[in-house]
Amino acid sequence: MNLVDFSGDAFLVAFFLYCFGFLFYVIAIAGKKWGNREPEEHVRRWSKIAFVVSSAGLAAHLTFFFTRWAGSGQIPTSNMYEFMTFLAMAIMIAYTIVYAMYRKPLLGVFALPLTIIIVAYASVFPSEVQPLIPALESIWLKVHVTTAALGEAFFAVGFAAGLMYLLRVVNFTEKTKSARRQQFWVEFTLGTILVIVGFIIVVFSFRAAGYEATFTQENVTIDSKGQQQTRVETVNYYMPPIVKPYNSQVESYESFLGMDKPLFEAPSWMNGVNAGRKFNTVIWSILSGLVLYGLLRLISRKPLGAVIHPALEGIDPDDLDEISYRAIVIGFPVFTLGALIFAMIWAEKAWGRFWGWDPKEVWALITWLYYSAYLHFRLSRGWQGLRSAWLAVIGFVIVLFTLIGVNLVIAGLHSYSGT
Amino acid sequence: MLSIENTKCECGHQNSVGTVLCESCGKPLDKELAKSEEPLEMRYDGVARRSQKSNPSIIDRIWNFFSSVKIAIYLIVITFVTAMLGTIYPQENTFINLPDPASYYQENYGILGKIYYLLGLSHTYESWWFIGLLVMIGTSLVICSLDRVLPLYRALKKQQIRKHHQFILRQKAVYRDRIEGDSKEWVASYGEALKKKGYKVHFEEGTGTALLAEKNRFSRWGPYINHIGLILFLLAILARSIPGWQMDTYISVPDGDTVQIAGTNYYLKSEKFTVEFYTDDELPDELKGTARAKKYETKAILYECVSNCSDPLKEPVLEEVKKDDITVNHPLTYKGLKLYQFDFDLTPRLNSVKPVLVDKRTGEVYGPFYLPMKEAETQHKLGPFTLDLIANYMEFALNSEGKPTTLSREPNAPAFVFSVKGPGLAEDGEPYIYFPMQKDKVKFAQDTINRELADKIEIRVEGMENVDFSEATTHLNVRMDKALPYLWIGAVFSMVGLIMGSYWQHRRIWLRVDDGELALGAHTNKNWFGMRSDIASALKKIGVSVDPKTLDNGGKNA
Repeated sequence: MNLVDFSGDAFLVAFFLYCFGFLFYVIAIAGKKWGNREPEEHVRRWSKIAFVVSSAGLAAHLTFFFTRWAGSGQIPTSNMYEFMTFLAMAIMIAYTIVYAMYRKPLLGVFALPLTIIIVAYASVFPSEVQPLIPALESIWLKVHVTTAALGEAFFAVGFAAGLMYLLRVVNFTEKTKSARRQQFWVEFTLGTILVIVGFIIVVFSFRAAGYEATFTQENVTIDSKGQQQTRVETVNYYMPPIVKPYNSQVESYESFLGMDKPLFEAPSWMNGVNAGRKFNTVIWSILSGLVLYGLLRLISRKPLGAVIHPALEGIDPDDLDEISYRAIVIGFPVFTLGALIFAMIWAEKAWGRFWGWDPKEVWALITWLYYSAYLHFRLSRGWQGLRSAWLAVIGFVIVLFTLIGVNLVIAGLHSYSGT
Repeated sequence: MLSIENTKCECGHQNSVGTVLCESCGKPLDKELAKSEEPLEMRYDGVARRSQKSNPSIIDRIWNFFSSVKIAIYLIVITFVTAMLGTIYPQENTFINLPDPASYYQENYGILGKIYYLLGLSHTYESWWFIGLLVMIGTSLVICSLDRVLPLYRALKKQQIRKHHQFILRQKAVYRDRIEGDSKEWVASYGEALKKKGYKVHFEEGTGTALLAEKNRFSRWGPYINHIGLILFLLAILARSIPGWQMDTYISVPDGDTVQIAGTNYYLKSEKFTVEFYTDDELPDELKGTARAKKYETKAILYECVSNCSDPLKEPVLEEVKKDDITVNHPLTYKGLKLYQFDFDLTPRLNSVKPVLVDKRTGEVYGPFYLPMKEAETQHKLGPFTLDLIANYMEFALNSEGKPTTLSREPNAPAFVFSVKGPGLAEDGEPYIYFPMQKDKVKFAQDTINRELADKIEIRVEGMENVDFSEATTHLNVRMDKALPYLWIGAVFSMVGLIMGSYWQHRRIWLRVDDGELALGAHTNKNWFGMRSDIASALKKIGVSVDPKTLDNGGKNA
């Protein structure tokens, strides 16, 4: 058995350990009110078990990382699969560091599912080792990507603590206008997370079923010399096409639930690489996220925020506020170093310009400016508690857009992958 | 307007206008603030900022505008929002050659693209308003920092040890207790415990019943050092617009050619360009069969012109200054000039041929003669024949009127028109067109054009050893940036400042004992959790057990 195969097994082990770790954290906070036990003792015991299990998961994850590195001869951070698995690992590392400072294992209730979702998201992308194009071969690339991901991982922990703060603090029984607005946005955030979960479920379901549909698309572009160029391309779908590519013909189509042709066509202004397919994926993700949300609402018969809220009682909101802030403060210099300074050094070495206003670079700068605004709001304008928590949540959305959205929506030098 | 008497504290200290907490004893100066019991706002220790003046002039008003952190945050937010807009469509500078951007955006992105272009968002990052925003952020950085760092430095330089009760008990971490036994001894032992935790402890002289413990004051300078770094960085970027500080152009060099780098005295020769592709064994399944470049390299020699440099009539005299192999992450560098591998073109390009002239009637062969694509000799004598070069086309084509023309100055489809004189031919010569490349010979039907002359003579190349061509052309990116060292210095300052400010926190503890009544207050700029556990664990060392959480006096945690 070679090292790369072994690393794949280690990755699977890590994934299951994370899942169990999460389950134990849920038992830790949900089991408080079970009979015949001391609530505090129960939380202490189960959160300890959960922490040990998830740390074992991190150990397995580290094993995956280093054996894959040894097996492939290159640091596994070069395609979307490898980068996302690295990000998930970095989140666990950041979580462990924050845990070492505050000894609040319950943060794992939110940090772990985040890790699990990112690991699952990573698995959507092809996991083969791919050779690097020459532009990517540099020590600075390795340093840049890993440091930037670590900084982002701290922002992710800040997000987890911020979301936990919101769920702890937002009052779900109040009926005032501002309370309702808070409730709606908390619910919206949870719904968005479910859309990502829905995406992963849909991808794997149709992949397991082996679904495929094919289109031929006529692409008309006008090049920089003003010449019109037409290319005919084949576009493969791995999910039933609700929307077909712009200006395309059906080649083959397996009917799905009685749907035997696409319902509509992607608009012409969506002109990224495989825009139609990506748009179709987005529709499927939102649909499945909504179905998932609807099912959960049916079972619980109240807003999801109101379901989670009581479980978090007994956790000090001030601690959550401070943890969220601290995680971001710790992550900010790391992010600055990795995503901006090391990136500039690498760009200078590879292309001879330290900054080129490439969309990915711009978004890294936007993330940095956003978090520096956050720090100034907090330090000088006294934005704490709710406002600070919301800023931490929105900040992580920006981080995710920089990491994934830019690659999917905007093409640039960093455009390595996309489903 | 604040009046003068408000600024004098009951302890006798004269404070400047705008002071919130007495610089000496720390008592709140404002009457309203003194009545309240809320924790105090400890920002910059309550000292007056430079901008807080009673009679602001115009310059003061500008200063005040930029000294506001609120304004700074607005500037940051506006900057990142506009930066976001700039990423919607590709920027103009991502195209190496875009003659008509207006129609490009409209044709590719429709009406939205047109609006995008008209708003100037297609060159967001070079626009005057975006650069203006950066300059304003720079100004705000300078003024905000100066406005705060000087008063703060003064306040921290001379701190009084015994603070006012209001000051101590309105901190965000507070502890009160009754002390049995000798107060002086208690304070001394607590001071000892704090010393072990790394605090610098100052006892009040004489009484010994008050103390100030302080640690990591240097971290307070972190943000300012970071700001200095950012200012340097911004200045370095602005300095790049000084003529001669920055260059960014492209050159294309075919194998074996020497090309001048425009705007400089340097010439570059590419000896050979090579590209290596991944083999199918090295590629995963979905990439098999694709040409994925593994490594490309230009063997380059850089020359500097030493004389006849600006005289177009004379051949410049070149001197080799550097020889290097340029690969993607390895540019050729010489005195701040950098040549980066940018792209390549594997279309072969003909440099010269050595053809022969065949007399078809006798079978006699004359030559070979040397015929370079550029700057060929105008006359060749071959045995009884004389060839006079009448015309030379680099990329031969027929225009709409059927007349020969050339499409470019690159020898993509070279053609030569000779006037041939010799035995059995017209006195004043007969025209003969010659295409060195076989594909052109067929495409343009050389024999048909030459008519009956084609039956008498032929110019042809015998064997590949008589053909000289460049296999590839390398495209290099030429760059020069003199601001770079300053940029890195700025980045280093910024990083050092960030680390100082983020990973260490300034912590202070004040305490006083009056008739056995202990009042302890503590302040930190970050990490109250750590602050409280410092107080509690030092208390524990001297036998007082408190839960750190109970020290929390409420208030906002910065």
